[in-house]
Order: sequence, then structure tokens, then C-alpha cells
Amino acid sequence: MSGLHRSPRTGFSTEFTEYREYSPGDDVRFLDWKVMARTDREFIKKFEDETNLRCTFMVDFSRSMEFGGDDAGVKKSDYGRTFAASLAWFLTQQRDAVGLATFDRDVREFIPPRYRQDQLKTILGRLETQPAGNATDLCQALEKLASLVGKRGMVVLVSDFLSPLDEMERCLSLFTAAGHDVRAVQVLHPREVDFSFEDAAIFEDMESGRNLILDPGMAREAYQQKYNAHNAALDAMFSAQGIPGFRVTTAEPLERVLQRFLEERPTRAVVRQRRSNARSAA
Amino acid sequence: MSFLTPLYLLGTLGLAIPIILHLLHDRPKNKQEFGSLMFLDKTKPPVDRKRRPTHLLLLLLRCLALLLLAFVFARPFVTVDDPADAARRDRQWITVLLDRSASMQRGDLWAQAKAKTQTAFAQLGPGDRFTLIAFDDSTEPLVEIKSWLGSPSEAEVKARLDRLTKPGFGGSNIGQALVLAGELIQGDDPGSDEPPLARHEIVVISDLQTGSRLSDVQGYEWPTGIRVSLRQIGEDDQGNAGIEQVASRAPWAAAEAVPSFRISNSANSIADELEFLAHTTAGDSLSQKVHVPPGRSRVIELPSEWAGKSVERLAIQGDAAEFDNQFHFAQKRQQTVRIVYVGEDKPNDAEGSLFYLASAFQQSSALDFQLEAVSGKSTGPLPEADLLVIGDAVDDPLAEALGQAIEGGATALMVVQSPGQTANLRRWVGADDVVIRDIASSDYALLQSLKLDDPLLAVFHDARFSDFTNLHFWKHRELQNLPDEGIDVLARFDSGAPAWLAMRRGDGRLLVMASGWTPADSQLALSTKFIPLLYSILQPVLEGKTQSRQFVVGSNVNVTRFNNGQAGGGITVMPPGDGAAAISVDTSFTPTAPGLYTAKGSDWSETFAVNLTAAESRTEPIVMDQFKKLGLPMTDPVASPAEIAAAAASVEKTEVHRREYWQWALAAVLLFVTLETALAAKGSRAAEPVMT
Repeated sequence: MSGLHRSPRTGFSTEFTEYREYSPGDDVRFLDWKVMARTDREFIKKFEDETNLRCTFMVDFSRSMEFGGDDAGVKKSDYGRTFAASLAWFLTQQRDAVGLATFDRDVREFIPPRYRQDQLKTILGRLETQPAGNATDLCQALEKLASLVGKRGMVVLVSDFLSPLDEMERCLSLFTAAGHDVRAVQVLHPREVDFSFEDAAIFEDMESGRNLILDPGMAREAYQQKYNAHNAALDAMFSAQGIPGFRVTTAEPLERVLQRFLEERPTRAVVRQRRSNARSAA
Repeated sequence: MSFLTPLYLLGTLGLAIPIILHLLHDRPKNKQEFGSLMFLDKTKPPVDRKRRPTHLLLLLLRCLALLLLAFVFARPFVTVDDPADAARRDRQWITVLLDRSASMQRGDLWAQAKAKTQTAFAQLGPGDRFTLIAFDDSTEPLVEIKSWLGSPSEAEVKARLDRLTKPGFGGSNIGQALVLAGELIQGDDPGSDEPPLARHEIVVISDLQTGSRLSDVQGYEWPTGIRVSLRQIGEDDQGNAGIEQVASRAPWAAAEAVPSFRISNSANSIADELEFLAHTTAGDSLSQKVHVPPGRSRVIELPSEWAGKSVERLAIQGDAAEFDNQFHFAQKRQQTVRIVYVGEDKPNDAEGSLFYLASAFQQSSALDFQLEAVSGKSTGPLPEADLLVIGDAVDDPLAEALGQAIEGGATALMVVQSPGQTANLRRWVGADDVVIRDIASSDYALLQSLKLDDPLLAVFHDARFSDFTNLHFWKHRELQNLPDEGIDVLARFDSGAPAWLAMRRGDGRLLVMASGWTPADSQLALSTKFIPLLYSILQPVLEGKTQSRQFVVGSNVNVTRFNNGQAGGGITVMPPGDGAAAISVDTSFTPTAPGLYTAKGSDWSETFAVNLTAAESRTEPIVMDQFKKLGLPMTDPVASPAEIAAAAASVEKTEVHRREYWQWALAAVLLFVTLETALAAKGSRAAEPVMT
């Protein structure tokens, strides 16, 4: 068994993680005899499990992701799906198990992470279907997915995160607490960032169908205030959960975004801390 | 430029509507899908500060269309003032009737009336005709300008008005003035070289008080082509109280010694507690409070404690208008009436005629009866008398004298009581075959065929007094062979025989009764008809010699009736006031101001009082409906067919000009609306919503 990725599980590998006092029932094979000889105490040596990566892409297929297109640039959904497909291709190339979950207000489709010949084809096929969902209920979908995703692994959440954040932290914590390496990719359209509309129009919510007659010039300031406050709250939540967040707009070239994403060290703050503690104890 | 219906110009306020609508955004037509509206709030309808030029043009067109529409409805027209046009203009005749009655003395009514007269000048154009007539009880033409010349004519009228410093004391007779003005217009015969007068307007400038007389207008056939406009001066909002003497029915019949006065208060009066004052010749003032509620009148007798104090002036105080608060009062003087009874009766014989005659003519404060009895056999001269009553046969010398007195103007009443009077009757009637025959009948006779229209019996004309069936004649005589002509049979007995006869003899009158009034003859002396009948016989006599002491301004005072009807020539009248000059009067005099006047003869002088007409005190305005009911032409009439045509042509001429204006304006409105539609359609196509 070999792999490129550090497994979230401790197991048999060459990289030491930490010591733990022996308790009856532990496998005596992991006793550190040298330490026992020196200190006359039994310690179990723990190693990080180096394994193939299990990565699940969770892609938002709600109607709000359909914003954009034509002269307004790339649709958010196209951008997000391309991003997920590109990464899936990378991972498949290095023999990692890749899975896909699509959701809107509920989980629409779930392909468990596998390494198979036709896995990538299946995933790409699924990604090509057009999003037809209604409202996004990110939390409800995440709750369901948390029960579906079994083994710990990497979870890449691709969404615009434009929904109330009240319950979001609790739902994300279902993954982080289970030891998943969660990455959040927030895909936005440039117009959602700067609200750069000019003419007054009837603004229709793509999910709820609600209408508002607006003069963008008058509404822009209030919009940006609320938008910035939302993103600040989102960032704070990611940071609290130890989730690296990537905010991208569909105007950014995809290759750069991919590069930036891959350059991010795939480590978790919590894990690193524990490992350093064990080393100092040794 | 003027407008026929300028109120429509308010429609220009509607310009605000397109301006506001253009400042507001149109409700956007384009739909913009957006990921999530969670960061967006509803905003107010935005005000567009960046107006596109096309929109400005639209706004301009819409505003212009609205402006012109208001303009069209306001019917603009231009009055051309060039002299050539003025010459073509139809001439008009404006007659101003200026009220100068006593009620115009209130407040500043007179100044207002004069100012209002001058406003009539504005209506006058060159060549128009203008007449100014002042009226009270009478009418007086003040100014007549046949061709109005503008400023010089104005100056002339103003100068004449300035001479009228204040109104008079007369009553107000609007009806008479209106009829006079109407007749002036009707009687006008324009010369052939003058342009005809197309319009006639009578402008009445008056306070239009209720006391004004309008009766003359009733039934007056207004000439066509006249318009009467009423300009009311002043608004009587405080009411007025007035005082007048309660007149007795006939000045000599006044049995009551105490004069009474009616104080009336108008319905809109602010005062109800008035003070009744009396000023005596000695300069004293007496007063008492009188409560007269608004809209009511009250008759009060001169208080007995005032009666003996030779009151010369009465007054009321406490109402709003002062002009009518004085009442001048001249005490009555007793008139002497001489009655001669020719007959053998004793004055205290209740069976004789004289007894009842003396009882009928009782002394009163107004009349002093001097009754003298003369025997028929008397040979002395016949005393002077106002009434001769002959109750018995008269001897020839006296009959001769009586006949001459009757021919000379005396009034004689002959009571036929026996056939013995046949000779007298023949002489006085002038018919030798007249026979007096006693009618012997066990039944009584009644009167019939009474000539109640005759002045002598007019007093019984009223149905309440015309019942003679209770008057029984026990005995009567039949007068036979009376001449057919020259004799009025005033009443007949039920047998058909004449009962009461009247005839003129020379300047005098002879009345004959075929039955006496003594109880032996009839019930006449004891009936209610007796005294009225005697006074009725006496009335023409009294009218010739008695005179009231109370007159109103503008009435005719017959000065010859003063001094017991014996005032001769050379009478002077002294008007009230200290420095007034005496006026020499021949027979009659018309006072123009209130006050106590004195008429003086060679050896006598009498005082009489002149007051305002009581109607002048009724100052509340006449209800306008009354004028309409009287048929006053208060709307624009059109006269002859020629004038109708002229007027129609004139209207047509003006209308053509007007129509041209509003037609052009309407065409412009249509043009603007078309342009606006085209522009708006183009604009809406250009702004087709972009769907995402």
C-alpha cells in the first residue's frame, strides 16, 4: 500500500505521530521497547497512516449557481463544476479515490469515493447534468452527507455560500469533528461582488422567484455592506472550524485558482499541534 | 389678451403631473435574475436626476399639450382698441338711476353710491349715450350726454355729482324712476344721422331698501332691448327702528285726545331696548324705555304726563341708523263747524229732530260743533253755516235765503216730515208739480237699492256695515213727480218710492230724506247708521276747510285750508331752523326737509310738522326675487329683428376671432400629442427589456 497523501488515520507507516501509554488490549507490536528499557514504562508508538486520498467533492447544484452566462461571463455553476472536474482528474491521475455529491436543498446524488477505471467518467457525467434544484439548504444537505461519507478523507465543498449562516457552523462541524479535511470553495460572480448593474430593473431571486424593483445605484451601498458582513462572518466561521476557504470569482482564470488551491498545504492545524506535542514529549 | 372662462386656466396646474412623472423612474420593464436577494432591500421609486434628451423632449411636448388644452378651454380673445373698430362698435345708452332718498344718509352710503356711479363710466365708449337721474319720491334728470367723449364727459358728470353733497329727505320710489327711465328710452327718436343704439341699460344704484315703492313697475310694459341691472349699496346688517304717528281715519273724526305712535323694529335689528324721548317747546326732555323685539312693532300712546307739556319733537334712540329717529309733532287745533237747524223743535225734546242732531255732533279735540236752531218762521238773516238742516216747513223769505245759500255753495239736508213742506221742496228742487204725500200703512218700510258707491254712502260699502234690514221706517212720505234729471236717488223704500235723494244746486248740494230720524218716523236716529251718515254728509264740507298738521317730506301742503279753511292770499311759510328765509306761498307748498314749519297769514299763524316717510325706516334690502316677479328685464333681451341680426353679427364677428384662436391651439395640441406618441413609441422600442 502506498499513497501520496497523509491519511487522517494513524496506522502503519513510517511517519511517527505520537506516544500513548499502553493500556491492556493494545497491540504489543507497537510497544516502544527502547523507551520501555530506558524509563521502565510502556508506551505505544503511533504512526500516521499514509494512504491513498479519499476525496469527496460536494458541489452546489442549486438555481442560484446558474447566475451568469452570456455577456455576463461564466455561470457560477459551470465554473464550480469545471473546478471540481479538474481536481477530480488530478486526483484520479494519482490514483486517489474520488467521490461526488451534488445537492441543492437536499442531496441529489452521491457517488462514494472510489478508485476505479470508470469513476472519473461517472463523475464527469454527473457533473454535466444541468442543475435544476430550487433553494439551497446547505445545512440540511451537509447533515445528510455527513452520514453518507464514511471514512475520513478530504471534503471539497463547492458553493456560493449565499444562504443564511445560522446553522452552517454546526453542520460544517459534523465534518471537521469527524476528522474530515474540509476545504471550502466559494464561487461568486463578479456582479455579486460589486453589484455592478446600471439600469433599474425588476430583480428576481433565482431560487425563490421573489421580485424587487430596484435602482442599483441606490441599492449598491447597502448591498455591499451586507455582502461584506456576510463574507466576514463566513470567514470567521471557516477559521473557527479550521477550514481553509477559497473565495473565487468566475472572472478569475481557472488554472490560477487550481494552482492556488493545490499549493495550500494539506495539513490541519489541530493535527500539527498534536504531533509537535508528541515530539516534545519524546 | 383676455379669457372668456379664465377659471379653466387653473388647468395649467396639471403641468405638475408630467413633470413629477418624468422625475420619477418609470416602473422598470426589464427583468434581472439574480442569485440571491438576501442582501437587497426594497428602495423607494427612484428619482431620475439624469434625464435623457429624448425624455426632455417628451416632457416638453406633454407640458405644451396640457398648457394649450387649458388655454383652449379658457377661450382667449383679444379686444381690439383701435378707433376704427370703436366706430364700428354698437352704441349703447346707459341710464343711471341714483337713489337720493333719506335712507341713503346712513353711514357712507352716499359716497359709495357716487363712487359706484363713476364705475359706470368704464362701460362707456366713444359715442355712447349716458343719462344720470336722481330719484327719491320724485325723479330729477341730472345729466344727459348724447355722445360720450371720454374724459371731458366724465369731468362733466363728476362736477354735477360733486354738487350733490348729500342725499335728500324724501321717500324712495324706485318704481317711478324705472318707469321714467323706460319711457325716456322708449320715447327717444334717434336722428337719421346718428348710429342706432344697440343696447339700453338702466343701472339702479340704491340701497334697495324694503321701504322703496315698486308699485309703478307692476304691469308696466317694458320696451324690448332694455336691461336693468341693480347695484346694491351697503349691506344692512344692523337693522333699524322707526317711529310714525298712528293716523286716525279722518282728521275730524279723531275722538281720542291722546296721539299714539308706532315704533317698529326691523327683523335684523341688533337692538330691542329703545329709548322714547320727547322734547318740549320749553327745551325739556322726557324719556321712557320701550321694548320692541326685532321684527315687531309697538304702538304707544303719548304718556299722559307728557301730554300737557306741548311736545314739539319726539325721538327714539338705541338703534343703528340715526337718520329717521326724529319725529316732529304739531299739536292739533280744534276746527269750528257751524250747523244751523231750521225748524220748530226744542233742543231737549226727545221726540224732535234737533235733539238727535245735537247728540250726534259731539265736541272732540279736533272739531268744535256750533249748533244753532232757527225757526222756519224767522224773518232775520240766515246765519253762516257749514251744514243746514231743514226739519220743518219754512216761510218764503227764509226759503228764499236758504235757496240762495244752497246755490252759493252750502250743503243742506232737508228732512221731509209733512206735506206742508211741498212748497219749499218745489222751490229748491225747481219743479212745480212735485207732490208730497203721506203714506199711511200699518206695516213698516225698509230701505232698498242703496247706492253704496256714492261718496255719501261709501262709508257703508264694507259688507260689515251694509246691512240696512234692521232699520225700520214706521212712517214715510212719497215724493211724486220728481224731475228725471239732476237728482240722484241714493236709496228707495221697499215700495219703490225714493227715500234719500241728492242733487246739486248751483255750487251747493241739497239732500232730501223722505222720512225723518225721530222715533215717530223711524229707527234711524237710534241706529248705528245715523252718525256715520251725518259725518258722511259733513265730509265734503270738512275736507274743504280742515287740514292735518302732520305731513311727510315731498307731500303737498294746501295752505289755504289753514285757519279754519279761511286762509286768504299772502301766506308765508317759515321753514324750520333759525336762519331760514320765509317762503311766500300761493296755495300749496311742498316741504323738502323734516321739521316744524309755520304758516303765517295776515292775522293768524299755524304750525305744521313735516317728517320722513315712515317707509324709509324699513332699511332691510328687498328680496331680489321680487324684482323678477315684477317683470324687470334683468337678463339680456334682444330687441327688434334688425337688432337681433346686428347682435348676432357682432357675436359672430367676435366668435370668429375666438374660434380661430382656439382652433389653432387645438390643432397644436393634436400635433403635440401625435409627436409625443411617436416619440414615446420609439423610446419604448429602444428600451426593450433585456432578459437574462
